[in-house]
Amino acid sequence: MNVTATLFGQMITFVIFVWFIKAYLWEPLTKAMEDRTNKIAEGLAAAEKGQQKILEANEEYTLKIDEAKSKANNIISEAEQKSKSIIEDARLSAKEEALKIAKSSTQQLEQEINAARESLKKDIAELSIICAEKVISKEIDKKVHDNIIDEVINK
Amino acid sequence: MTQGPATDNPVGYISHHLQPLQAGSGFWQFNIDTIFFSALLALIVMVISYRVGKSIQAGAPSGTQNVLETLIEFVNGLVKEAFPKPNKIVGPLGLTIFIWVFLMNAMDLIPVDLLPKAADLMGIHYLKVVPTTDPHTTFAMSLMIFALCIYYNIKIKGGLGYMKSFLVHPFGIWLAPINFILTMVEELAKPLSLALRLFGNMFTGELVFLLIALLPWYLIPIPGSLWAIFHILVITLQAFIFMVLTIMYISLASEESH
Repeated sequence: MNVTATLFGQMITFVIFVWFIKAYLWEPLTKAMEDRTNKIAEGLAAAEKGQQKILEANEEYTLKIDEAKSKANNIISEAEQKSKSIIEDARLSAKEEALKIAKSSTQQLEQEINAARESLKKDIAELSIICAEKVISKEIDKKVHDNIIDEVINK
Repeated sequence: MTQGPATDNPVGYISHHLQPLQAGSGFWQFNIDTIFFSALLALIVMVISYRVGKSIQAGAPSGTQNVLETLIEFVNGLVKEAFPKPNKIVGPLGLTIFIWVFLMNAMDLIPVDLLPKAADLMGIHYLKVVPTTDPHTTFAMSLMIFALCIYYNIKIKGGLGYMKSFLVHPFGIWLAPINFILTMVEELAKPLSLALRLFGNMFTGELVFLLIALLPWYLIPIPGSLWAIFHILVITLQAFIFMVLTIMYISLASEESH
């Protein structure tokens, strides 16, 4: 083979070809591929992060639920205690009231009994006076009369 | 130009097929067919890559872009294996060599008489369609690679360091003359073997196709198709070897001094 123009022509073609491929295919395409790789990596990282977040949220959620449950339990037991104490109080006050009412009613009863007794005494006295008047008006028998009076007085 | 059956004059047939279409003489000898076909293939590849490069789909590539991305990935893998430091030129260089050499070699698979016959009908009497069977093409590439090797040697090792590597490698400074001869031979053998390997393979491949074409027509299909199938392997392999050796040579050249 001689050194000819063909050799140099081929060299020039070669150089142009390599330059062209480098400028118009290799560089933009490798850049695009790199970008894609980065994007995919970013996407995967974001997905991982999201997964992590979901886990965290889940944990937080169960924690909160537990907290709420225990709170609710507390409230319920507190309410029970309160209701018990209220019932107890009510019972005590009712007892007191009942006692009071009973006392006052017995007092009243006694008063009424006393009053009844007084009026009965009065009635009896009046009755006896009426009896006496009747007897006196019918017959005045001294003896009998005296006897009766004695009897009354003795009584 | 009237021709009898090819078998009448086998030597004439073969030498006719191996005669390039030439213009000029001496230094100004142009092998028009070589230049034309290699430039045509390069142009086709350039147009395709220009189109792909203009309309890159970053998200979900398809079609040609996929093929080219696969090729780039493949070449980049080889480059990254060979180069510790990133190198801007060797990737596109390797890709271009692989595509170009492959396509030029693939011209071999077009039936040997088809294009020359067509050209003959148009009044062109000589045509060699496979540019890599012309040593001008293979040497053009290997010499450019050689120049690139020297460039990287001087860039990385410095002018003096490069000189020194000729003198002290491989036997130490006391055997400098022998070292110089050995290293010189080693360095010069690189582009020479690179060019001649490709040229030799493609030339003999073409020759075997021509010999098969000389068989009686009823015998041609079996050896012809077998050789063509085998040749698919050869052309791919030669393109691959050329690319890998290019990458290796440049990576050796851009190593720090031994």
